[in-house]
Amino acid sequence: MLPVVVVHGGAGYVLKQRFEVSTAGVKEAARKGYAILKSGGSALDAVVETVAILENNPTYNAGRGSMLNAKGEVEMDALVMDGRTLACGAVSAVRRLANPIHLARLVMEKTSHVCLTAEGASKFARAMGIPEVPEESLITDHARKCWKDNQCPDANPVQYQMGKMGTVGAVALDVHGNLACATSTGGIVNKMEGRVGDTPCIGCGGYADNKLGAVSTTGHGEAIMKITLPRLILFYMEQGKSPEEASDMALAYMMERVSGLGGVVVVDPKGTWAARFNSKYMSWAAAQQDQLHYGVSLGEDLTEPL
Amino acid sequence: MMKAVLVVHGGAWAIPDELAEASVAGVKDAAWAGGIILKRGGSALDAVEVAVRVMEDNPVFDAGHGSVLNTDGEVELDAIIMEGKTLGAGAVSSVRNISNPVSLARAVMEKTEHIMLTGRGANLFAESIGVPTVPTQALVTEQERKEWQHYKKYTVGVKELFNSQCVHDTVGAVALDAFGNVACATSTGGIRNKMVGRVGDSPCIGSGGYADNRSGAVSCTGHGESILKVTLARLILFHMEQGKSACEAAECSLQYMAERVQGRGGAVVVSPTGDWSAVFTTARMAWASFTAERLHYGLNPKETFEETLN
Repeated sequence: MLPVVVVHGGAGYVLKQRFEVSTAGVKEAARKGYAILKSGGSALDAVVETVAILENNPTYNAGRGSMLNAKGEVEMDALVMDGRTLACGAVSAVRRLANPIHLARLVMEKTSHVCLTAEGASKFARAMGIPEVPEESLITDHARKCWKDNQCPDANPVQYQMGKMGTVGAVALDVHGNLACATSTGGIVNKMEGRVGDTPCIGCGGYADNKLGAVSTTGHGEAIMKITLPRLILFYMEQGKSPEEASDMALAYMMERVSGLGGVVVVDPKGTWAARFNSKYMSWAAAQQDQLHYGVSLGEDLTEPL
Repeated sequence: MMKAVLVVHGGAWAIPDELAEASVAGVKDAAWAGGIILKRGGSALDAVEVAVRVMEDNPVFDAGHGSVLNTDGEVELDAIIMEGKTLGAGAVSSVRNISNPVSLARAVMEKTEHIMLTGRGANLFAESIGVPTVPTQALVTEQERKEWQHYKKYTVGVKELFNSQCVHDTVGAVALDAFGNVACATSTGGIRNKMVGRVGDSPCIGSGGYADNRSGAVSCTGHGESILKVTLARLILFHMEQGKSACEAAECSLQYMAERVQGRGGAVVVSPTGDWSAVFTTARMAWASFTAERLHYGLNPKETFEETLN
């Protein structure tokens, strides 16, 4: 059952004409992540590189392609976690970086801290020699249009966000039995400057523990935070639920308790995986035993050989 | 009517003898201030906010006035507040030049669509709702400035050793009101010589605190990075959901944190039925609790004093 990587490109509404481009991106990312794992690479390397690929793809709301805040600027959040030691790294409200997930990993590996925010995160990026990119290079025409549309007085950013692609993320189990998760996002469209969502919060944007499993989340960030969705899923799994059952129970609870929509990718220490969502769509892909699974609509599970 | 309870902490760390008396007096003041609100039929949310504000205003604690300095000699504050009825929450991270971050966190909860604001964005929001700006000087004690100067000359390794043993840390409160609602609040200046922009456990939902009417409320303190790795507040509540008492749940979660990530800390906990506890694995933690009839407090392990209120 080892190794396995499962990725998502965000839960929400996907226009029919964007089905193909949305699934193509996650399939490509899952293939690359799987190749790392097959050659003996670590789960940590696999999730970070998989998420970096999705950050570089303008189709998704992370890195290039990020949604804009109320001022029309890009502020990004990211999280990575290593299930072996529970080490984790996160950045919040960071600007002018191509790959926030790489900076999150550096926070984990080069500092005694877990999370750096805003200007402090940028200062650390400069100290690490990471080049700043022009803000324009992160902004797509699509993001600018979303931002403009949401300036109408009757616009509802939460509803709008669920109507578009969210957050990207990945979970992986390597041949050594180590688990990891990574999540990255541009956040909710027209968010207030400095808004931090679920993504960089440990136990909200993701969680990884070799003893339990790994989870990466997407969807309405504030709802995910209120119920600490990944932590909840892993507690259910600790009590004997399968990744699929645990995910469905936790997503149902999120809907019942805080009316939240979202999706998750999950893998347990044996390699049993799940990609579940209660939004209309979520683009996802999973690679295991030289098979690629993928889908975008509820209940869909297409396969092709790797 | 439920039995109203409030429990506060002034941080779990090796509190030196010269700060012991002031720390205990400070948590008793806070428990009293919050307890009065509950006694008059006020909400758990109001009670935890007021209790934490009292400690933010007290320079003996590392939160609000009395905060520690980061590597640049500046003050950056984190806070969270959460109410257990709707799971509403508000938090700020790395906010500067305000006296009461816990009240700004509450404003994020009540006046925005978001849960957390950080850095300059948090300060812009504070200005927009008329929160007064205070100079950094006003938040820092002369003693802290001296100690910061003293430790600044050491290498990073020594600073970390010092932090691991002598972390000034965090204040917090949990409460259960007469209507059966629980709430938590946590506020901190973080750890001395932290990197600019370092966010610890305090503003992170599920780590620095969590409140749910169905399971209880928790506020945590201690080594922030360890608390984050095990999402301590949420872990304690999961144990309570499975039938453990507030004390058992806090003890086994802190034990797990020590074993898994070698971190020490403390927590105050209240259950929806009023079962409460103040537990720590550090050398000391100043804590105090208010129930309808009595004030309990302590500083050293296994120590509980009691005063009857009149």
